[in-house]
Amino acid sequence: MLNRVTAVAVATFRETVRDRLFYLVGFFGLLLVGAVTVLSPLTVGAQGKIVADVGLGGMSFLGLLVVLLVGANMVRKEMERRTITTILTKPVGRGEYLAGKYAGLALTLTCLVALMSLLYVGAVALTPAVLAWSHLAAVYLTLLELLVLCAAAVLFSALAGPALAALFAATLFAIGHLTESLLDFGALAGGPSRVLAAVAFRLLPDLEVFNVRAAVVHGDPVAAGHLALATLYAAGWIVVFLVLARAVFARKEL
Amino acid sequence: MNPPPMIRNRTTTPVLEIDGLAKSYRRGFWGRRAAPAVADVSVSVERGEIFALLGHNGAGKTTTLKAVLGLVRPDRGRITIGGVDARQRAARAKVGYLPESPYFHENLTARELLDFYGRLLGLADRRRRERTAACLELVGLADDRHRRLADCSKGMRQRIGLAQALLGEPDLLILDEPQSGLDPLGRRLVRDLLLEQKRRGVTIVFSSHIVPDVEAIADRVAVIARGRLVEIKDLRRRRPAPAYRAVVDARAAARLVAPADAGLTVVARDEDRWTVAAAHAGALGALLVACHAAGAPVIDVQVQGGDLEAEFLADLAAEAPAPEVAPC
Repeated sequence: MLNRVTAVAVATFRETVRDRLFYLVGFFGLLLVGAVTVLSPLTVGAQGKIVADVGLGGMSFLGLLVVLLVGANMVRKEMERRTITTILTKPVGRGEYLAGKYAGLALTLTCLVALMSLLYVGAVALTPAVLAWSHLAAVYLTLLELLVLCAAAVLFSALAGPALAALFAATLFAIGHLTESLLDFGALAGGPSRVLAAVAFRLLPDLEVFNVRAAVVHGDPVAAGHLALATLYAAGWIVVFLVLARAVFARKEL
Repeated sequence: MNPPPMIRNRTTTPVLEIDGLAKSYRRGFWGRRAAPAVADVSVSVERGEIFALLGHNGAGKTTTLKAVLGLVRPDRGRITIGGVDARQRAARAKVGYLPESPYFHENLTARELLDFYGRLLGLADRRRRERTAACLELVGLADDRHRRLADCSKGMRQRIGLAQALLGEPDLLILDEPQSGLDPLGRRLVRDLLLEQKRRGVTIVFSSHIVPDVEAIADRVAVIARGRLVEIKDLRRRRPAPAYRAVVDARAAARLVAPADAGLTVVARDEDRWTVAAAHAGALGALLVACHAAGAPVIDVQVQGGDLEAEFLADLAAEAPAPEVAPC
């Protein structure tokens, strides 16, 4: 089973790499150069904060872009082109196929974030700021968030066309960062809204768990316990999304 | 250790058995409207034969093949491959499949793509390398093994598709419109490949809406119209000696047809093109290869084996109008 999942994952990774996806790293580099050369001189004493803000935010944004453009289109594209039929008529299970597609894109995202992190470290070194471990913790949490969104994109891609799947994933990203606010809104509104907000809070991943960027920019540390819990939280949601995707995909007629 | 099911049942069990297959697709916003694609199809395919599903576009051929391969769930009916329920993954272990107009991972090379499929089949490293090289050689793409799929022509993709179908040395080959959209040389290559696989004992099931393609290679043909099996014809019992003809550029033909022992006869000489009759398939193949080597245009290739086309059209005409059939 592992061999088949690995085979699909490696093919997916090769496809995305050769699709020139890593050009995004170049774009990220330009962002950082802009932050260091243009913005930093305007903010005397806060150059490190500017680079951290742009760097960590840019990583999250570009990763999200990959999830929306590639992840949300991944399964559907192979269904429309019938590539999937030559794969699933081999002794490969549908769950193995989805796990392989997910693993391939997760590997791509990990490499992408790793490369952007190297540029980020270089950019921080150009400023008077000191690179703290908390910066790397923020990068790690960003990657976890992207991996959760990637699993959701695989589910949406098995459910709907590329545009709708991307819309669902983007909506999940937006709501995932607003779940706490939803609770507050529900408490203020009261009645059914309160129940609805509570249900949404329980049913959707709270992506703010992965967002320590503001704290890191202001020099706050990230606790090791938080990293461990966030890792478990991400793993749980990834499993939930992939199990749901398998259930949906098992009944799909190709 | 028990032998694989297809070997265990080699002597008695049909390679493929479809019994009372029916399949409809859900249509409409709520999916409440059922559009029948296959209404009632039953066939039994014996080991080593080439079995064709012949029908017009939308007749239900592709849906039938998809049901065999577990890609769609039948509403009714039972399908077994080598005696094993087709819904089980083990049933597909020795099945090769080529979809119509296949697309593959565009950014992989031909060799990488076959390596990928070899991994899915569970072939060990060395065996995978050997089979990849052998299959690329078989479809005439050994020199193009490092070419990306995105840079391949439609004919090359079709051949790579055939190579992936043959990779696991299948007992059963299932091909959906394998000659669709190919030029005369490509069609010839596919035909020769299929006949070669038959000689090796592989059972082949293919769909087509092109009567001469079916007539040229099939042992038996199931005529399907509007999702229903109309008739199964045994072409082995009634096949007359096939007539092979090629229409080629006149200047090239004057050079290439000359040798008396080539088995070629010019039957019509127009100003710019000659129609050449070949005594046998090998002579026609040699002529096409020579034309290709000389860069001479081949305008048409005809293989006429009998009157199946007329019968097919009569079958369709006789088939009573049926409910609307969904495209598949």
